[in-house]
Amino acid sequence: MAQISAQALPSPAEEARNVLIEAFESFETERIAISFSGAEDVVLIDLAATILGKDVPVFSLDTGRLHPETYRFLETVRDHYGIGLEVLAPDGAEVTRLVKEKGLFSFYRDGHGECCAVRKIEPLRRKLGELDAWITGQRADQSVTRAELPTAQEDVAFSTGDHPIFKFNPLANWTSADVWDYIRANDVPYNPLHDSGFLSIGCEPCTRPVGPHEHERNGRWWWENATDKECGLHAQNLAPRPVRIVA
Amino acid sequence: MPSPDAAERRITFVKKVLANGQPCAKCADVEQRLRTSGHMAAIHRTVIADERDPDSEGMRIAAEHNVELAPFFVVEEGGDTRIYTIYFRFAREVLGSGGAAKPKREAEEILRANPDLDLV
Repeated sequence: MAQISAQALPSPAEEARNVLIEAFESFETERIAISFSGAEDVVLIDLAATILGKDVPVFSLDTGRLHPETYRFLETVRDHYGIGLEVLAPDGAEVTRLVKEKGLFSFYRDGHGECCAVRKIEPLRRKLGELDAWITGQRADQSVTRAELPTAQEDVAFSTGDHPIFKFNPLANWTSADVWDYIRANDVPYNPLHDSGFLSIGCEPCTRPVGPHEHERNGRWWWENATDKECGLHAQNLAPRPVRIVA
Repeated sequence: MPSPDAAERRITFVKKVLANGQPCAKCADVEQRLRTSGHMAAIHRTVIADERDPDSEGMRIAAEHNVELAPFFVVEEGGDTRIYTIYFRFAREVLGSGGAAKPKREAEEILRANPDLDLV
């Protein structure tokens, strides 16, 4: 009787590594980089280091409001992997204007959008202007808006008519458990805040620990509510026509 | 009326009306920008996406193009259809203006249209 052997599915790590290989084969290392948040997405750097060694291109967005533990962790990662981690700062004049007009904690009153735009999104946009592709640690299980997250996509948020930008999400199909299994199995350094109950780590004023059964999103911007979804169009999705959503 | 050099281009502005009958604040803000900049003349059609009526034309257009945010613009040109959910980008790339928009405003729009970016 013939033996029917099922072909083994790639492990999450193998799948992510294959995505990284495809990314680095598709773009010169000067035109692609990993965006590292200083949290559990360190697994991206660990996987990429198995491909490029110390030449892994990595940048981090220093909002100026990160936890002290995160700043120290960035240096731990820099030393551990021997990489030239690029730390990006927001525009000083914009930060000064924001703080002068609205104070240091305007996000508790006005929502986090304006502060994130100044301290994170605009520096990211500037950096992506130098690149053709970037690599993120985004996972589908992090929020409902990421449920359909592909491992590779054209980045409609930052592409422009004359400069398309691609985004790779090697961890898209990983669960939080996959991430931590990998970190433990491979002795990967991690941000010590995780040992204090932080699942998602961002800026210090906007991040808090969550309980054992809480979603990690509950640890960010917990004071905001559904009213900021006012612009949402909850229309039933139909089969899309071949159109280009520019952003 | 739209300018003659844009004769081949059709722009539809889709704005949202909330369940209470009021326009969404962002839509009103964008419409005001269009009017004060004189660019309302470049818009061929303004269509309402009415939360109270899933069959309203705007809701149908949103569903057709898988757009989940309002306001947005549908730009049809030479057989190509592009959707813009970020006003400043639409102004810069389609209307040829808005280049002087503050980077922060466009960054805010990018975040609004891509809420998962705040976790990056």
